[in-house]
Amino acid sequence: MFLNFFYQLKNHGIPVSPTAFLSLHKALSLGLINSLDEFYTASRALLVKSERYFDLYDQIFAAYFKGADLPNEESLAIDDMAAALLEEWLRDPKTITSYFGIDENALRRLTPEALLEYFKKILEEQTERHDGGNRWIGTGGTSPVGHSGFHPGGMRVGGVSRGKSAVKVALDRRYRDYSLQGPLTQALVGEALKRLRHMRPAGPKDRVNVDSTIYQTMKNGGEIEIIFDRALKDRLKVILLIDNGGWSMDPYVTIVQTLFSYASAQFKELKTYFFHNTIYETVWQDPARYKKPKPIRDFIKLDPETRIIVVGDASMAPYELMARDGSIYISDRAGRPSVECLRYITKTFRHTIWLNPVRENHWPYTQTIDIIRKIFPMVELSIDGLEKAVTLLMEK
Amino acid sequence: MNNGNSFQRISGTPRYVIDEELSQIVNLSMVLEMPLLLKGEPGTGKTMLAHAIAESLHMPLIVLNVKSSMKLVEALYQYDTLTRLNDSRFGDSQRDVSNIENYIKMGKIGQAFVADARTVLLIDEIDKADTDFQDDMLDVLDQMEFDIIEIDKTIQAKHRPVIIITSNAKKDLSDPFLGRCNFHHIAFPDDDMMRKIINVHFPDVDKCLRDSAIQTFYQLRKLNDIEKKPATRELINWVRALNADPDFHPKQLAKGQTPYLGVLFKKSRDYEHANRVFNRVG
Repeated sequence: MFLNFFYQLKNHGIPVSPTAFLSLHKALSLGLINSLDEFYTASRALLVKSERYFDLYDQIFAAYFKGADLPNEESLAIDDMAAALLEEWLRDPKTITSYFGIDENALRRLTPEALLEYFKKILEEQTERHDGGNRWIGTGGTSPVGHSGFHPGGMRVGGVSRGKSAVKVALDRRYRDYSLQGPLTQALVGEALKRLRHMRPAGPKDRVNVDSTIYQTMKNGGEIEIIFDRALKDRLKVILLIDNGGWSMDPYVTIVQTLFSYASAQFKELKTYFFHNTIYETVWQDPARYKKPKPIRDFIKLDPETRIIVVGDASMAPYELMARDGSIYISDRAGRPSVECLRYITKTFRHTIWLNPVRENHWPYTQTIDIIRKIFPMVELSIDGLEKAVTLLMEK
Repeated sequence: MNNGNSFQRISGTPRYVIDEELSQIVNLSMVLEMPLLLKGEPGTGKTMLAHAIAESLHMPLIVLNVKSSMKLVEALYQYDTLTRLNDSRFGDSQRDVSNIENYIKMGKIGQAFVADARTVLLIDEIDKADTDFQDDMLDVLDQMEFDIIEIDKTIQAKHRPVIIITSNAKKDLSDPFLGRCNFHHIAFPDDDMMRKIINVHFPDVDKCLRDSAIQTFYQLRKLNDIEKKPATRELINWVRALNADPDFHPKQLAKGQTPYLGVLFKKSRDYEHANRVFNRVG
């Protein structure tokens, strides 16, 4: 019974397990489910284990039991893009209208809903998709309008982070919100970094050490001697190196700020330095990278157990990385090429990680990312990536 | 062990409003003997639900507040070695020092297992603990038994407790964990539901005050760039504050005066932002 429904869910990417399906049948045979409404609730509670899939479940359920249309990818992309355009329009109407060649004042009179419909219509009128092209609106292209594009200084349409299973439709459905992977908020970063700890005894001796107490008592022939220890406190040393220069990091400013604000609240011994594009002999303590230089050769004096977290898109012209005088700043053009400096850091510290806000599937297209990846372990700056980073940083 | 296929039905209690869907899922989980995992925005009443279930089923409630440093064994039992050591040295207690069992104290899960009546076991904020804790704990809850190593004894649950697990995390829990639970996400209540909730908490609140407070509340939630959106808990406190203030009149809200924003917004940046937008003073 409902085997097709089960496979529909599975084929659309909801991780459903056969065991859960059996539980559903158990519920049915126990007479717990007596109507379609109850079946809806029960099968969702049993089969769908994350609110991210609730929206998709709703659609499949409707398609299976009520014969509604299943969403196809094309219309999803259009809905997604239309919503992004609407947002962009609210921020900057002029650019949008000039790209479409429409009268700005005509659009101003429309309600947001009507505007959304209007954008969708324009997008549907495109006779072909333009993914990867350079002309029109699409995804992953180099045209100045679009999502995740690479056009320098171009306008960015769409959010910073996109969900893995981004099924988004503009129809009014209850769980729509939850299917979007939300932005990386401070709480989420906290969630991911929580396990990044290094417990060391600190503070007054006020904890009873049971094992030593018993040992010592027995040694005293039964005369009780209570042994106290210091409580364990987190004493992890962290150095955060942030790429804060250039347009290429601009889209990621908020996400990096979030990471930074969490990190400064979490770690007692945190030092932050700034650099532009890549690291040469010097990093800076001030965000303007001007007043307080810190030569990286001083790093050797630090505890080798310090965790190094580099945040940057690792995207630059290859010579900046490879050439001896590669730095775009004249004052920096001395000494080793940047790759050597990066290798020096990974050799000095046992635990290093490079967090890259660029999405992982775009990495192969940037040469310098590839080179740096071979030096630093690199992960994507997302919740899943942070998780991975924490595991790497805590490895023995 | 009582297999307890008792078709006890739950509904709302005087302090908590349960919607149809949720009560069905709770019943389902009880009958299928599976833990129910509740997720939802903070302040949507996940913890309150367990209290409500316990109340409406007339079962005692046992709460295990998960902490990040917690080990599973702490939730099961504790062997009080220090008391035993003390007793063996001074021998002035009623306990029999040679019997270790006298020094075993049950943890929260242990208490639920050995209780004489069926209980509701609330495992609050499971996401705080690490994955190992979560998976091991579900093993225990699956088997309904655990071993006390010190006295080589297996504790079996006398009655299978009704297990409610809450999680605040946006991140998903591990697959084996999810596989063994039923899942429900408590959506943020809409304004109809919210009116009911306020009515439950303040049976004789002024209708006009209630409606305009709820209206303003939803507008405040729509503000952009707010890190911690106010939730039900904040609204209830806010209504309480407005209600207690003799100088307050619901019309003020419509006029763009929003007092006691500090009750709703707990982060100073959020507070300043909301204050700027909502209190158009002078």
